[in-house]
Amino acid sequence: MLTLEHIHTAFHRGTVDEMKLFEDFSFRVNKGDFISIVGSNGSGKTTLLNLICGTLQPDAGKILLRDKDITHLPEFKRAKYIGRVFQDPKAGTCSNLTVLENFALADNKGKPFALGRAVNKKRIDYYKELLSKCGMGLEDRLNTPIGNLSGGQRQAIALVLTGMTDVDLLILDEHTAALDPKSSETIMELTDQLVKEHDLTAVMVTHNLRFAVEYGNRLVMMHDGKAIIDKSGEEKKALQVTDLLETFNQISIECGN
Amino acid sequence: MEFVGALEVFLEMGLIFSVLAMGYYVSYSILDFPDLTVEGTFLTGAVVFGLFVANGLNPWLGLVAAFLSGCLFGGVTGLLHVKLKIRPLLCGILVSTALITVNLVGVTAGTVGDFRAESSSIISFGRDAMTLNDAFFGNLIPARVAALGNVPLRQPLIFLVVAVACKVLLDLYLNTKNGLLLRATGTNEQFVKMLAVDPGKSKIIGLAIGNGCAAIAGALYTHTVDGVNQSMGLGMVIIGLASLIIGLSVFKKVRFLKSTTKVIFGAIIYQACLVVVQRFGIPSAYNKFIMAVLFTLVLILGGRQKKQGGVSRVNA
Repeated sequence: MLTLEHIHTAFHRGTVDEMKLFEDFSFRVNKGDFISIVGSNGSGKTTLLNLICGTLQPDAGKILLRDKDITHLPEFKRAKYIGRVFQDPKAGTCSNLTVLENFALADNKGKPFALGRAVNKKRIDYYKELLSKCGMGLEDRLNTPIGNLSGGQRQAIALVLTGMTDVDLLILDEHTAALDPKSSETIMELTDQLVKEHDLTAVMVTHNLRFAVEYGNRLVMMHDGKAIIDKSGEEKKALQVTDLLETFNQISIECGN
Repeated sequence: MEFVGALEVFLEMGLIFSVLAMGYYVSYSILDFPDLTVEGTFLTGAVVFGLFVANGLNPWLGLVAAFLSGCLFGGVTGLLHVKLKIRPLLCGILVSTALITVNLVGVTAGTVGDFRAESSSIISFGRDAMTLNDAFFGNLIPARVAALGNVPLRQPLIFLVVAVACKVLLDLYLNTKNGLLLRATGTNEQFVKMLAVDPGKSKIIGLAIGNGCAAIAGALYTHTVDGVNQSMGLGMVIIGLASLIIGLSVFKKVRFLKSTTKVIFGAIIYQACLVVVQRFGIPSAYNKFIMAVLFTLVLILGGRQKKQGGVSRVNA
């Protein structure tokens, strides 16, 4: 489904601060995978997502999505196939527009944005139905500017908007990290619902080891630009938070922390 | 009748510059793009309109042509920014500098008679020139109302019609899919990218509209001086921004007014302030200085120096 082949990425190339992150890194996402990626800061999790989404270009290597080379496709063109929810709840919605207007925009994804009326009144019931699934009472707040909603509510909407159009791949970029424990729990459940409902392929980066263990069918731990753990199926099911913590500790000792 | 004279000045000027300020509403408030191009496109609009009038063509068509010329050069600014990644302020400076030449050539082409010398490049509307005042419905309105102490009617009314037409069209546009996308581009480019759309396109469109409006304002302005001269574009950035910011901050709490309406009132208020200041007997040479000082006061009192989230208050 998605393949990264022999990726090389370095930051500050050609300076004394040069930091080689990925060296000949290859990674494969299979159709129907729900991958949780964990790892310490600087291990390459977010860089991996940025490479997949096109925010960052690799120095060498190839990225294939459904056998199509997307290595040099700009971010906005990849968005047709890839949906992304960010850590910052502000990033996934537009704060000065109302909930309804945000839905109208997302509903039009993939179609031309021409001079027709933006809000189609016939679709309102559908939007309400989607919102009521969040269980936050958002269906009654269609005309509220998104900026007036809480982070959890905004993230729920961002998730719903991303799921509205068919994407091949859902990218979740620490999307519960900025939320309180209760909200992050809710968002995680909504995410799981969405993935199952649409049979999505998803890649989730998280610092919440419990989420990583509980959700998804595959778990990857990154360290120094390598996938040091990559378990799926039964092996993944057997994995416990304590196992992950142990590996984390080992890494820290190796690094001299 | 001094009061009537003052009223005429600030109403007419206010309405003219409200169109400019609406352009800034699109480029500055919505897109968060400090656009200096208007300094040139205001005059370009005036020149294009002037050429239409000087050649006896329909002035309403001239107004449309002025708008398009503004769109064109605003689009160039947008292209420089989006495609070549040049900073907003520099893009504006580059295009408005290039426009000095374009405008000069245009004005020289339109200059007839004794004025044909580069040093005194002006287009002067003759007595029989057909301006907006004389074409189509303009000539149906009496120029002045004698019963009310000779209050001017025709010209302010024409300006009002143009300003309101611009407002209505802009409001309509901002509620289309394309307009909504434009509003989203200003606050959250990432969001627009995730919609699989290039936010650069919206920026170019927004700058085109902003400068098209500036050009319309320039075209209207020619009526007050009966022609076009090279110094007309000076200080437009300040007039536009001051009008915009006055309008949006004075009527901040008034929810039933659309932002575009607030901007029109803002432009009129700003011109009224200028007229009041001038009534104190300050020579007109100090005009631009006073404009800058007034704008600084507006910024301080309005508390609208760009803060985070500043844009979110300014939605339509």
